[in-house]
Amino acid sequence: MSEDPENVEKMEGDSAKPDRMFTLKKWNAVAMWSWDVECDTCAICRVQVMDACLRCQAESKRDFYGKQDCVVVWGECNHSFHYCCMSLWVKQNNRCPLCQQEWSIQRMGK
Amino acid sequence: MITLSQRLKKQQDQAVSNNRISVRDRLLARELQELSQILPSNCSVNHENVNDLSSFILSIKPNEGFWQGGCFKFGVDVTEDYNMVPPIVKCLTRLWHPNISENGEVCLSLLRQHSVDGLGWSPTRRLNDVLWGLLALFTDLLNFDDPLNIEAADMYRTSKEDFQRKVNEYVIKYAID
Repeated sequence: MSEDPENVEKMEGDSAKPDRMFTLKKWNAVAMWSWDVECDTCAICRVQVMDACLRCQAESKRDFYGKQDCVVVWGECNHSFHYCCMSLWVKQNNRCPLCQQEWSIQRMGK
Repeated sequence: MITLSQRLKKQQDQAVSNNRISVRDRLLARELQELSQILPSNCSVNHENVNDLSSFILSIKPNEGFWQGGCFKFGVDVTEDYNMVPPIVKCLTRLWHPNISENGEVCLSLLRQHSVDGLGWSPTRRLNDVLWGLLALFTDLLNFDDPLNIEAADMYRTSKEDFQRKVNEYVIKYAID
């Protein structure tokens, strides 16, 4: 608000027209952010998407590098899952199991 | 004659099934615990073989509606492909119900593996959802318009009293705990 200080003084003096009970002198903007995903847990295997999925954990218990193959996949609907989990499901039903939209991949990675 | 490809395939199948068992069992361990935490007082879960978590009996005693007073047992089999496929549920107690056949087949959308409408099974569902679904078959999800037991639904449409009488008859005969 750009209010001329002189103007304000005049208005305060003018008792006939107290049309403004409050004036805005200062405001603090607060911003929040979060990752652009619905949740950070894969809704299929219930393991954090950034960790290896339940299947990969079971398969490569001793293989330290095995984890690197388990990537995250984001759909156009913005829901994310482990790629392994989702590729098993789309064989049966090509829809996002959370929102039932047709599944198409937006991006993959970590 | 055993060919190399056959043998390889066999090994592969074995490996796949071994992995799936462990994934299924990991999910089961967690979901059975969740189930026990939310289990209402009119329901119970019993494992016949404590070493096999994948097969159990879910008993439901509806505390309202037509089947009040009965105890209905459902056999739940969680197959190796869980949670890509729904558990197999069969009603072990004979009852007169439009959505459960006298042979025990249960008509519940979330137990359908393939569905076009999005109401069927999805891997994001859990055993808790199966419990709520089965419980609701005795109340909210009771559906006379799309029956499995057509005779039962027809009877309800003709006379609600006759329907209730037959339900009671079955409860006394088969569903007293």
